[in-house]
Amino acid sequence: MERKKITFKINGEEKTLEVEPNKTLLWLIREELKLKGTKRACERGDCGLCTVLLNGEPVKSCLVLAVEVDGSEIITVEGLARNGELTPLQRAFIEHGALQCGFCTPAFLIVGHWLINRNPRPSREEVIEALNGVLCRCTGYRSIIDAILSVTKTEK
Amino acid sequence: MLPKLDYSSPRTLGELLELLDRYKDQAKILAGGTDLIVSLREKLEKPKYIIDIKKIPELGKLEYREGEGLTIGATVTFKNILENPVIKDRYSVLWEAVKTIGDMVLRNRATLVGNICTASPAGDSSPALLVLNARVKIVSKEGSREIPLENFFTGVKKTVLKPWEMVKEVLVPEPPKKSFGRYLKMMRVRSEDLSVVGVAGLGYREGGEIKIRLAFSSVAPTPLRVKEAEEAFAKPGPIEEKIERAVQVAVEKVSPISDVRGSAEYRLNLVRVLTRRLLKQLVEVV
Ligand code: FES
Ligand code: FES
Repeated sequence: MERKKITFKINGEEKTLEVEPNKTLLWLIREELKLKGTKRACERGDCGLCTVLLNGEPVKSCLVLAVEVDGSEIITVEGLARNGELTPLQRAFIEHGALQCGFCTPAFLIVGHWLINRNPRPSREEVIEALNGVLCRCTGYRSIIDAILSVTKTEK
Repeated sequence: MLPKLDYSSPRTLGELLELLDRYKDQAKILAGGTDLIVSLREKLEKPKYIIDIKKIPELGKLEYREGEGLTIGATVTFKNILENPVIKDRYSVLWEAVKTIGDMVLRNRATLVGNICTASPAGDSSPALLVLNARVKIVSKEGSREIPLENFFTGVKKTVLKPWEMVKEVLVPEPPKKSFGRYLKMMRVRSEDLSVVGVAGLGYREGGEIKIRLAFSSVAPTPLRVKEAEEAFAKPGPIEEKIERAVQVAVEKVSPISDVRGSAEYRLNLVRVLTRRLLKQLVEVV
């Protein structure tokens, strides 16, 4: 197995390293870079908990090889807050109690941020549709949807 | 953990075909990865080489030409398809089918050609492409050939593709004038699931007469076009009778199995209910 050199940006920081081609982007993020916000669960594309932004688009990082991200830009949940200050969406999750165990929260934040960036005033249906690929097994989706919608209202 | 493998990402089609020719069945093509990486992890596939085709610009072609139709390249994602206004407008059956696949995040990566090459009986894009008379352009170092999608599938997850060949693009001809197509899919839950049964239909008029094309997913070893049912519309008679005859023939021609998503009996009943529902919608519009 030939190791490959890859260069990419993660949360604004440029990195160059060598990876084995059978490692996933999820592995790269969690094990190599020790960013544990992104979660590993089903590892087969069903749960969406490993979702990160790859070149601005949400992807399930368990289904992407690390070697594929050469030349790309990645944002994980750790890259959302600026200078230690939470984003309005992160604060809204706290205010709405949009989490219970919190295992799914990083993924919902990533998809939520992507959605708001792309479409600052989504309808409830559009929010639901965007969240389709991420599963929460605790709290139910209403508070998560409400948290996202509350931000889109105050920001308009 | 994924099995050990080597990775390459050719920049041209020529380079890619060269690699395929060299490695043959030891190589697997990687586009969106949404099926391949899962099969690697579950050890259903054990390739020595992964060939990533996303850096080959010509495979990203998504082009419509009036009168000729649509070309969908090997790396075109479902997201690209859903965002294409021509597909939404003129190829509504394909647009609707793609919309039911996975979820928005998955559709950012998953490709239409990948969906065909996986050749799952439950593939949603295939019935839609079947009623649109889609053709598959297959290339290899030796040259290229073009076959109807109907002849592409040979069994559960099996296709006519040789290990040194690949699907370069899918060609979807211009649909008949004023045609209307729909895809109905029954799932266990409201989103993000494979079909229990899926049915695609296209309706249009020829010489004033209503014509119908019908195809199914999850009711046979391959996605299935049922031309015998379509013939019900070729004979004279009241439209209600044609619909019932078509439904009956469809039920006879499918051969569903029982699995985790539903029993064979349930599937047969769904074929009856969904086909009737779809045909009624189609004849009302065209
Ligand atoms: S861990 Fe990636 S989708 Fe579940
Ligand atoms: S809060 Fe526990 S999984 Fe969502």
